[in-house]
Amino acid sequence: MARLGKRSRERSGSSDVGPGANPGPRHASRLARETATSYAFLAPFLVVFAVFLAFPVFYSLYLALHQVPADSFDIFGGLEFVAFKNFAKLFTDTKFWWSVLMTLYYAALIVPSGIAVSLSLALLLNNRLRFVAAYRSAFFMPYVLDMLVVGIVWTLIYSPHVGVLTRIFESVGIGAFTERGLLGTLAYAMPAVVFANVLKGAGFGMILYLSAIQNISPALYEAAEIDGATPWQRFRSITLPLVKPITFFMVIVGTIGALNAFAEVYAMTSGGPNVDVGGRALGATWVTGYYVFDTFYTQFRLGYAAAMSYVLLGLTLIISLVNRRFLSAEV
Amino acid sequence: MLRRVLLYVCLTAAAVVVLFPFFWMVVTAFKQPGQAFTPEVFPSNPTLENFRRVLSDYGFAKYFLNSVFVATSAALFATLFATMAGYVFAKKQFVGRDKVFGILLLSLMIPGMMYVVPQFAIINRLGWMNTYKAMIVPHLANVFGLFLMRQYMMTIPSELLEAAKIDGAGEWQVFRTIMVPLSIPIIATLFLLTFQFHWNNFLWQLIVTNVERLYTVPVGLAMFKSAHEELYTLKMAGSCISVLPIAALFFFAQRYFIEGMTMGALKG
Repeated sequence: MARLGKRSRERSGSSDVGPGANPGPRHASRLARETATSYAFLAPFLVVFAVFLAFPVFYSLYLALHQVPADSFDIFGGLEFVAFKNFAKLFTDTKFWWSVLMTLYYAALIVPSGIAVSLSLALLLNNRLRFVAAYRSAFFMPYVLDMLVVGIVWTLIYSPHVGVLTRIFESVGIGAFTERGLLGTLAYAMPAVVFANVLKGAGFGMILYLSAIQNISPALYEAAEIDGATPWQRFRSITLPLVKPITFFMVIVGTIGALNAFAEVYAMTSGGPNVDVGGRALGATWVTGYYVFDTFYTQFRLGYAAAMSYVLLGLTLIISLVNRRFLSAEV
Repeated sequence: MLRRVLLYVCLTAAAVVVLFPFFWMVVTAFKQPGQAFTPEVFPSNPTLENFRRVLSDYGFAKYFLNSVFVATSAALFATLFATMAGYVFAKKQFVGRDKVFGILLLSLMIPGMMYVVPQFAIINRLGWMNTYKAMIVPHLANVFGLFLMRQYMMTIPSELLEAAKIDGAGEWQVFRTIMVPLSIPIIATLFLLTFQFHWNNFLWQLIVTNVERLYTVPVGLAMFKSAHEELYTLKMAGSCISVLPIAALFFFAQRYFIEGMTMGALKG
């Protein structure tokens, strides 16, 4: 998204010189008229944007700097200013840092596996075969469906004792998940959540990779073939470098997606199963997005949740900036 | 030849894995109530009982209508607003244009989780808790949609608009009779994408409603999830009802979905 924003702004800047670029009284009145019309057309969009997208960013900071009483719904009246107390508390909150760690773990699992599956599907589809369109639709469809539903279906599949996957594991002699199910087993809960999510989302990356691969000139492959390059060599030194922009995009989108991860955790594990870390019970899938939800929705600590989401914003911006560095350096 | 067979085998295996959860959801929904975990793949005596119970006894018929209403009206207005805004950003010179556009695009960098708390507080302050408008209005400014609109509309020749104006058409008339008809593909795309977004916008709908009469399908499903831990056949019937409309839309209009969803990444 960040990349998208930057480029299009540059584009709109260059298209600024329009038909009426020469100044003059007649032009000025025309510009005034056009401006009035334009804002009339923009009004509904801008009003909603201002109230529900722009103002909340600042209002959230206001909330983060105040103590919001848990029992009061009237959050505009009588808020106690506590300055950076919420942030200070956050920095000593083990559960929060644990959630950041789990979010990074989640990203570290889902980004590479998502890229690998998407790219593999794209390579499979990049062949002259019948039914390619049907396969493409089949792979893409889960991407448009609801994460909550997908999560609920997977909890059924992963169920202890009787879940279909648990039974399949058992039938090949793996009994480790029988008692608690994959989602209840500490080491496998996060990978299981990631697996469900990768299968759901792979179609999106697949389309991106496919169109990038189809843009590669066949002449490159022909030349490599004449030089005796193996299929693997052709993939390594032609395909992979030329789809790099898509890979970078997938890394950014995947990481930011991990920072926002919520529905999958809500549907499948509610942040658990718990692991004992230095006498504290911490969830093996306790990601930051879920912690924000829990703080806000379950505990109704608006100020603290707002502070947390500000840290989330900070992390997102850092990731975008770091990635942009990489992008301009390597592509 | 062998290579082709191998490719088909791989593709089919991948499709089976990717679609398995949905297959399992449907199969389980047709099993006898309470028999979710029978090992058979196809239920030996399939039943519609789960659907009947979920729809009538557990209120999913009402949740479904709520979802239809919320997603349709939200998609309608979000698309209209984005079309109007996209038109002026694509075709008009006006004071502050690039600054406003820059600010709008900047908002795309902000993670969605960021908005949950303050938006809830605003809705609460406005006294909109437990209303349809609380579910709809906050998401009517779709910046990504506006961006898609503008990109598309910039390819429509300005001469057409000038010609209509010379013929005496007013601003709104130009928009309605020229811009809109020529932008139908992107309007359809955005409508579908926003419909899909609102149909699946579970977190927000959960936050602003706590009365059963306003539940949407996903919210109903979430409540169901915690309340009836054992009744997986019913849950799967509810899940089927939840994904069916989007799956159907995708089946008939997949080109719009796929192009719309990947356009930003590919052309941006």
